[in-house]
Amino acid sequence: MGIFPLPVLWLWACSVLAQLLVLTLLFLKGNSRKLPYFTAYVTLNICQAGFLVFVYTHVWSDPDTPKTLAWTSECVTLIVQALATTEILEITLRPYQGIWGLGWRALTVTSGIAVLLVALAARSYWALARWFELDRGYHLTFASALIACLLLVRYYSIPVPSAYKLLLGGFCFYSCTEIMVNTLLQAYFQNDFFRHAAVWQLSTMSSFVVALVVWAAALRKPLPVEDRRLASTSDADYQRLSPEINEDLRRLNEKLLRLWKLEAREQ
Amino acid sequence: MNSTLLLLIGFAVLMLLLLVWVLRDPRKHAKPDGDLGSTDELCQRHVSYFPQLRQALAAEDFVFLSSRGSPQLARRMRTERRKIALAYLSCLRGDFLKLWRLARVIASMSPQVGVAQELARLRLGMAFSLRYEMIRIEFLFGFAPLPELGSLSDVVSRLSIRLETAMNNLGERAALAAKLASSLDDGHGLDTR
Repeated sequence: MGIFPLPVLWLWACSVLAQLLVLTLLFLKGNSRKLPYFTAYVTLNICQAGFLVFVYTHVWSDPDTPKTLAWTSECVTLIVQALATTEILEITLRPYQGIWGLGWRALTVTSGIAVLLVALAARSYWALARWFELDRGYHLTFASALIACLLLVRYYSIPVPSAYKLLLGGFCFYSCTEIMVNTLLQAYFQNDFFRHAAVWQLSTMSSFVVALVVWAAALRKPLPVEDRRLASTSDADYQRLSPEINEDLRRLNEKLLRLWKLEAREQ
Repeated sequence: MNSTLLLLIGFAVLMLLLLVWVLRDPRKHAKPDGDLGSTDELCQRHVSYFPQLRQALAAEDFVFLSSRGSPQLARRMRTERRKIALAYLSCLRGDFLKLWRLARVIASMSPQVGVAQELARLRLGMAFSLRYEMIRIEFLFGFAPLPELGSLSDVVSRLSIRLETAMNNLGERAALAAKLASSLDDGHGLDTR
């Protein structure tokens, strides 16, 4: 573990303690049953910390092995992170079947666009910083997809319990700070940013600790049970009403446009 | 720092700002006219005041004042008319926003939502807001023709009636669902978790 400076080790210890606190809250308040994937994500993070201790204390014949193993373990954690977020979104949008369907499509489209942009942005750095680019690309895709879903929730005025808001906010905050930190380091240290690993670890771990504190605050009470029963309209109602309303709104817009043009002409 | 990196930082900052905006409680920051309000309130729409407004803004009064050679009074009347028209336009916008939100509520309660329909409504709402602002600016510098304002009111009025019918249907369905839920809870409770 001598490869890391003392502040990084301290922060790492704090992060593990915060993760243990979140896990304890999940089990004590009975939230682990409501959020199995989120519980798995926190557990996996703790296991990853143990795995990394082993990886960095062991002597490897190939010096690149610890880095590859560490990043591979990160990949697994990130996949579970995506599942945990989808789980929370699904709980929030479960009573709104139509909007959940729309949310899935929004997730697919935004993720597709983000992956394309990431591929374009990373093409010149790929050979140099493969893992780094993958990590940033993932967080970019994750943050944009999550924000797209949250915008959808906001647009349709869907009430989200504050605990779920905090959980989603923690994920999004962590991803956004990861993008910023990765990009700023790349910008300031150019091709030498691997030599400043301690700075990168300090900044990313700090943002993760902030996210953990937010999650602990969200989980200090049992999560509300989502048992809303909506008076749903039939599909036929929507199919009939929606085009009619849109047509009226379109007419209203035309009137406004005509009013504006006429007014401009008369001046 | 190259443009790609700048773009990435800008994107991350934008995401953080959007996060703060989407997570804050909309009820705490909602404008009073943006509320859906009760059905009674919906019935008392601003469009219903259009006949009074038309009377107050009648061109005959203006011609009469001009013919009597009182330009100062005519100018004052023009300014006051402008203020009234602006207030009326603002009220119409409030009505539009309420109705637009009602349309979204109907969509959110539907088991299936059409992407094309929703995108079209979003586009219409944005276009309305943009045009409203343009017209408002025009009103500030001139005076819009009254007949056009009238036809605008007719459209809002029609839209209002259609949505009120839809809301009544929804109300009936809500009552039915509540009745069904309570009858299920009385017997073997329905676990919706």
